Parts: sequence; C-alpha cells; structure tokens
Amino acid sequence: MSRPGNRADWADDEEFDDPSALPAQQITTNKDGTKTVVSYRFNDDGKKVKVTRRIKTTVVREHVNPQVAERKTWAKFGLEKGHIAGPSFDTTSVGENIIFRPSVNWKAQAAEAEKTGGEKGSIKDQLRDKKVKCRICSGEHFTARCPFKDTMAPVDEGGAEGGEGGEDAEGGLGTGGGSYVPPHMRKGAAAGGERMAGKYEKDDLATLRVTNVSELAEEQEVRDLFERFGRVTRVFLARDRETQRAKGFAFISFADRSDAQLACDKMDGFGYRHLILRVEFAKRTT
Amino acid sequence: MRPILLSGHERSLNQIKFNRDGDLLFSVAKDKIVCAWWSANGERLGTYTGHLGAIWTVDVSPNTVLLATGSADNSVRLWNVKTGECVKVWEFPTAVKRVEFTPDGSRLLAVTEKRMGFLGTIVVLDINYDDDLTNQAEEPSLRITCTESKATVAGWSYLSQYIIAGHEDGSVSQYDGKTGEQLESVQAHEFDHQINDLQFSLDRTHFLTASKDKSAKLISARNLAIMKTYVADTPLNSASITPKKDYVILGGGQAAMDVTTTSARQGKFEARFYHKVFEDEIGRVKGHFGPLNTIQVHPAGTAYASGGEDGYVRVHHFDKPYFDFMYEVEREQLRR
Repeated sequence: MSRPGNRADWADDEEFDDPSALPAQQITTNKDGTKTVVSYRFNDDGKKVKVTRRIKTTVVREHVNPQVAERKTWAKFGLEKGHIAGPSFDTTSVGENIIFRPSVNWKAQAAEAEKTGGEKGSIKDQLRDKKVKCRICSGEHFTARCPFKDTMAPVDEGGAEGGEGGEDAEGGLGTGGGSYVPPHMRKGAAAGGERMAGKYEKDDLATLRVTNVSELAEEQEVRDLFERFGRVTRVFLARDRETQRAKGFAFISFADRSDAQLACDKMDGFGYRHLILRVEFAKRTT
Repeated sequence: MRPILLSGHERSLNQIKFNRDGDLLFSVAKDKIVCAWWSANGERLGTYTGHLGAIWTVDVSPNTVLLATGSADNSVRLWNVKTGECVKVWEFPTAVKRVEFTPDGSRLLAVTEKRMGFLGTIVVLDINYDDDLTNQAEEPSLRITCTESKATVAGWSYLSQYIIAGHEDGSVSQYDGKTGEQLESVQAHEFDHQINDLQFSLDRTHFLTASKDKSAKLISARNLAIMKTYVADTPLNSASITPKKDYVILGGGQAAMDVTTTSARQGKFEARFYHKVFEDEIGRVKGHFGPLNTIQVHPAGTAYASGGEDGYVRVHHFDKPYFDFMYEVEREQLRR
C-alpha cells in the first residue's frame, strides 16, 4: 500500500491497482476430479509469471497389520541414524529390469534365445556343421595350407561361391572385405560378450553427457538438477583422483529415454555455478 | 521385475531373513554389521553394531521384537529390533553357525562349530520378552552334542516338536525338541557333502535342504522321508520354498575360491526356480556376480531376496507371469 494516508473510501480498494501486487491464487475443480491451480509469482527478472498446475489426487489405501503400521513409524538407528526418510542412494539402487517368465521348457527357449542372440557360447554350435573350406581351391583345408597357395589367386568370394558358401568364408565376420574386424565387432558377438559394465549397457540410450560442470559440483547436486525430468538411475561425476574435485564432466542415466531427451533440451545451456552447462547424449563407446 | 539392490555390506553375505510379516529384511555378512531393510523399497532402517567377527547367521523373533545373530567371534547376540541396542551376549567356546527361534519365539537354538577340541553342539536358550529385554537366562536349557558329524544347520519343526539338523556328512537328523534325544537320522545327501542350508515350509511340516552334492531335497519333518529331489548342476548354498505358488528356489554356484578362474556365465550364479511337485526347472534369474550364498522368500510369497558372495542383496518383487504360470494339469484341475 503505497498511499495509506489519502485513501477516500474502503470501496475504492477494489479499484486500487498496485502493479507490484499479485493476483490471488485460484483453485478450480474440474469435472474429471482434477484440480487446476493458477498462481502468480515474480521470476528472477522481476517479471510476473503465471503458473498453471493441474493436480490429480489419488488415494491409495492399503490394509496392513497394525504391528506393521506401527513399525513404519520407527526411527532409523545405527549407521542410518538421523538420515531422512526414503532410500539413500549409497545403499539402495534399482537394478536393470529382469524378464522372468516361468515355463516348462525354459531350457529349450533359453537355448533358442542364445542362438538367435548369438552369444559367445553358441558360436561353437553355429559352426558345428560347417566345414573348413579353402578360398583358393574350395578343398577341405585352411586357405593357408592350400597346395595351390603360391600358384593360384583366391577365387572371387562374392561371385564364385553361392549362398551358404559366402557365409562360410566369412567365418563369423560381420563385414565383408578382408580387413581385420576386432572380435567384439564381429557379427557373432553382436549382442556383446560379457563385460563387467554390462549393467549399464542398455541404459546407454538414455545417458546424457554433461560438460562444463563446475569443479565444485557435487554428485547429489547434479542428481537433484536432473531428477526433475524423470527417474535418474545413475549419476557419474568424474573426479580428480588426488584432489577429489570434479573434472568438469558427468554422465547421467535416465530410466526413460524420453525423460533424457527432455532433460537434454532443457538443461543444455543452463547456468550452474557460474558456468553454462552443455548437455548432449552420450556417444556409445566402442 | 526390477530388482532392488542393497549394497550395505562390504563383504560377502552369509544369511538374510524376512520377519514374519515380511516388511523387514535382515542381512548379515562377513563385515561384522547387521543391516535391517524395509523390503518394500529397500530403504535401510538401521544397523546393529557390536560383533567382533564375521556374522554367520541371523534370525528374528516371530513378533519382530528381538533379533538373534551368531558370529565367528564365538557369541550369540540378542538385539532390540526397534532401537538397534544389544540386549544380551552369550559366549561360546567356538563360532556359531546357525540360530533359529521356535515358531512361538519362546526359545532359540544355536549351532556351534566343531573346533579346537570342542565338539559341535546344538544349544537351546530360553527367551524372555519382558519389558526389560536384557533379563535373559544365562545358561542354555538344552545342549545336544553331535558326536559323529558336526551339525551345520538346524531348525525347529512344527510346534517346536523336533529339532531338525543338517550335518557336515550330508545326513539329516531329528531330535526331540524337549529332551534333545536323537530320534532319527537319514543320509539324505551324498556322503561327505555338507548340507549348507535348511529352510522350512511356512507350516513347518516339511523342509528343504541344499547341499554341496548339487541337489536339494524336500523332506518331511515328521519321519524324515525324502519326498522330492531337485537336481542342479552346481553346488547349492541355499534353498527356499515359496508360499502361494508351489515352487522352490535354489541358489549356489561354484565355491567362492574357484570363482575368479571362470566367467560369470560358467559360474552359474543364478537363482533357479523349480516346480515343487514336478521337480522340473522352470526358470532362472540372473544378476549376481558371485555365487548366491543365501535365498529367502517373502512369507507372503510375493517377493524373494538373494544375497551373494559379491556383497549385494537383491530383492525381487514378483510380477504377473510368476503368479500366472501353471502346468497344464493344474489348469485342468482348476477348470473342473
């Protein structure tokens, strides 16, 4: 109230328009049971912002034994003493989804899946019926042992050999041509052998690489920053081994790719601790 | 299903236990602390500290008031579940490998190791639930000495009538729960293959043993008749009977000392599900990086947890396909 003294009438109060005052919050109940809350606030630049929120309330009622309900109120103790409610990230995490379907002939199905997946163990099976075939004379020996090795050039693979033969000569290589293909890029190993990091393999698609992170950043802070966009499964903040300071980049894995996309769009260019973050999708390491 | 990973321990797990309502999960490992977790979300309720050695075993009283642990520091400790305080310590001459409360919680058995000239024993301690929990009897009310082969695991049958013990030589014996007199003994598993785990069904009329001889057996508590045999391709460390659905879950894997010489695949570090009646293997759940040391099923049959040599506890809440699975004959019977 900038003019408290010379106000004429209390009725004028309605007309009185103070540019610095905010309209009151409005709450309307929609037909479908949701509530719409419209509120106003000033943002950092001093501009008025209208915030509209739709809230749906669901009551989940659960019947438990009174003893169980009583236990829910227990305070934490021991190493957990004083910690806030809810699972802590250093002791509890959620693993990768496991598909578990009991079935009578699961062994056959597992073998099938392995075959199609082409994992390490089954390469042997794949090659079981195949015979060694010389590329020079098509005899049953390795090319290197061919008696015509010095006298004849290898036959053209694409044309001379038909169907099955072509596959044969490749010997499980993913690409044609004679060049060397590292084992993990061969066709047979497309599913990837076993890696210790296998845990994170599948999340790769929903992993963001954040660069230009402040040296003083904390993992929890970064997590909080990104958790607004969806469930974060992993935060990795690179630190210097000696000084324990952040190295300037971090990886954030989301449970859901769409959340990651949203976070990528919103957080790219976000100012955090005096630095502008750069956020992009992490590239798969090869 | 997405498992919840609990990483509160720094060393390999030895035993995990749900309380009777299934809302809490207790885990013990070689790292001297006991952890209590909420089974629904994996939140840690607290830790119980005080043991001076690896903890081999844990059990919680049926009313979730007291927690008993047995450790390599030659003691059995009794804890107040709610506050985490140690209320009683019993000292023994050797390490304690297994503790278990009676179904009514009035007594506790403890299996002690055979070592340093002491024979393996099973002792029974009376438990008191007065306001002052520290007021516990000092001396055991019963002591059974295993002269032939030491007991490795033991438990109470229905109504605490018998004490059932699994031995190092692969035999299972039945003692009277009151007098400690040996009533029966059968060579359930191959000779000289230790029994690593013995878990009862919910009504305690039968139990499942897991042995180093790569098999698990379902045995009647009344007369020790072997009812079913589940054959695996790896030494078993733990086996549990699932309520609600007729399955059993077996866990094992190569001995921990041989693990580094093989890959995770050949190590067979999977939980194996068998049908309890038909003895067929119906599925496996992967996840651990080391052998599974202990498996427990939620008393309501809605979840199971496994603890491994890798130091993780994984809590799996079953989803729909688990409950839907039925054999053709079961379905037919349902239709009738």
